[in-house]
Amino acid sequence: MSILALLLSGAGLVAAGMRDRASNGIERGFRAALAIALGTGAWAASYAAWGMAFGTPGAAKDVVLALAGATALAAFRHRVPAPAPAQGREPAPRWLYALFASACAVAAAAFVEHTVRFPDGGWDAWMIWNLRARFLARAADLHSAFSPAMAFLAHQDYPWLLPGAVAQAFSTFGESRMVPAAIAALFGALAVAVVTLGVARAHGARWGLLGGLAVVTLPCFATFASNQQSDVPLAVYFAIAAALMTSARSRIELALAGFSAGLGMWTKNEGVLYAACLGIAWIWRTRDLRGALAFAAGALPCAALLAWFKLGLAPPNDLAEFSTRATILENALDWRRWAELLVLTARRVVYFQDFGFWVLAGVLLLWFLRKRPFSVLGTALFLACAAYGPIYALQPHRLDWIFRTSADRILTQLWPVAVLATMPALARTTART
Amino acid sequence: MRSRRVTALMVALAVIGMLRILWLHFVSEPRNEPRRAPIDVRYAALRAVVSSGEAGYVSDLPAAVHLGEDAATLGTRMYLHVQFAVAPVVLRYDDARAPLVIVNLHDPSRLPDLMDQRSLELVAQIAAGLAVARPR
Repeated sequence: MSILALLLSGAGLVAAGMRDRASNGIERGFRAALAIALGTGAWAASYAAWGMAFGTPGAAKDVVLALAGATALAAFRHRVPAPAPAQGREPAPRWLYALFASACAVAAAAFVEHTVRFPDGGWDAWMIWNLRARFLARAADLHSAFSPAMAFLAHQDYPWLLPGAVAQAFSTFGESRMVPAAIAALFGALAVAVVTLGVARAHGARWGLLGGLAVVTLPCFATFASNQQSDVPLAVYFAIAAALMTSARSRIELALAGFSAGLGMWTKNEGVLYAACLGIAWIWRTRDLRGALAFAAGALPCAALLAWFKLGLAPPNDLAEFSTRATILENALDWRRWAELLVLTARRVVYFQDFGFWVLAGVLLLWFLRKRPFSVLGTALFLACAAYGPIYALQPHRLDWIFRTSADRILTQLWPVAVLATMPALARTTART
Repeated sequence: MRSRRVTALMVALAVIGMLRILWLHFVSEPRNEPRRAPIDVRYAALRAVVSSGEAGYVSDLPAAVHLGEDAATLGTRMYLHVQFAVAPVVLRYDDARAPLVIVNLHDPSRLPDLMDQRSLELVAQIAAGLAVARPR
């Protein structure tokens, strides 16, 4: 029943949000990836909402979700014809397909190797995400999962889309280490699929495969995917929102983008920042307030869920709890802290171990294209990066420690959207010559 | 023509990335990073003794519980491993007055001293350096 609820709710959301008929295999693949990702998110978010409202969810929650999905599928089964495919879509040579398949095989092998070497996932997996999943699956009382009596490192205030998914899978399949590993693999595959198919549907298979390569061969991607943490799931929801926003032909598609951004908010605290950046960038670049309202309306269910959790259950975030007005002011006026942040950031750009040369190439490309107007996604990424400046500088922890433990995961969250933002510019630039 | 150049450049970046992944996961880590034992191997038996509510936690190594303390220490890892294993029991760090107290030691020979210092008596010895106690 759980899997049926997940698939039907995802398919129902995609049917409701994308009213035209899928015109080809790439489009069908893209929508299938969306359905699985959004269905998983809806399944986990409804688990949280039901749990906070009525106590431990049973089969009734999944029945309601499955019925809602089936109703949406039935209501929106009459699709309008698809518009003509975009011009200038480049096909891919066979060798590029072979290289992409090889890269996916290498990443999959690395995922398996890392999962075997670290059977409980990365440090944050057992400290935060799978710890919370165990609480949710084992405890009769939801409140114990967020008890302030635990050390702050358990980060009881974090939203719990991933723990909700893992806890439900524990209840269905038993409490095996395979469960969080399989869910991590699913989100890793979805991140690659959303970028590859999202670019390919607009610019053709060549650019889609190149975009997919940029994600799957980022050296830290396979590691972060296997770490069983929320960074790759957040990247997936942020990327879906971004891909839908850039291709939206109706406000209902923007609402679906907003729903995905909302799921990102329910995945990790950073998701709020990314959703806000997407919304602001949309208004800034398009001046389409109604579109922005549609996006916000789509994000509303998960935003409300997050507010409900933060106001009703969650203890204070450690960044807020350990900060005072005096420390914030002191940090803001400490020029050495800002200088240190600049140096740390510059060094990270050339951090070969985790990024290869991808990030350096991205920065150089940004310099090369600096005179072009920013797109919606480029603006959203710029705003997100700009926001991290004061967040890093003003937070109360030691700067080098928090930067070292978070910069790579933030890059992992942003990277798929950076690729989605970059590929159209590359495709357009090369098409003119 | 430029499309081919961009393709070639991205393919080169991808190949470098793939080689880096292969090196890290199949050459460097097998040499330098020992395979971790699952956390539950050491701690799962605690659940039979401490199954619900809250429990105290004491150790011979400190854990990071305040701002500015190093979160990557062995003491922090030991505390968080126990919390992970015994969930949904909430572990109260450094609380030796809780009805049940989990004692987790890096140096097992320090168990008698620590029990004495913290006025604890043994309820169950789970493994070397791992015990459940209660206040005397």
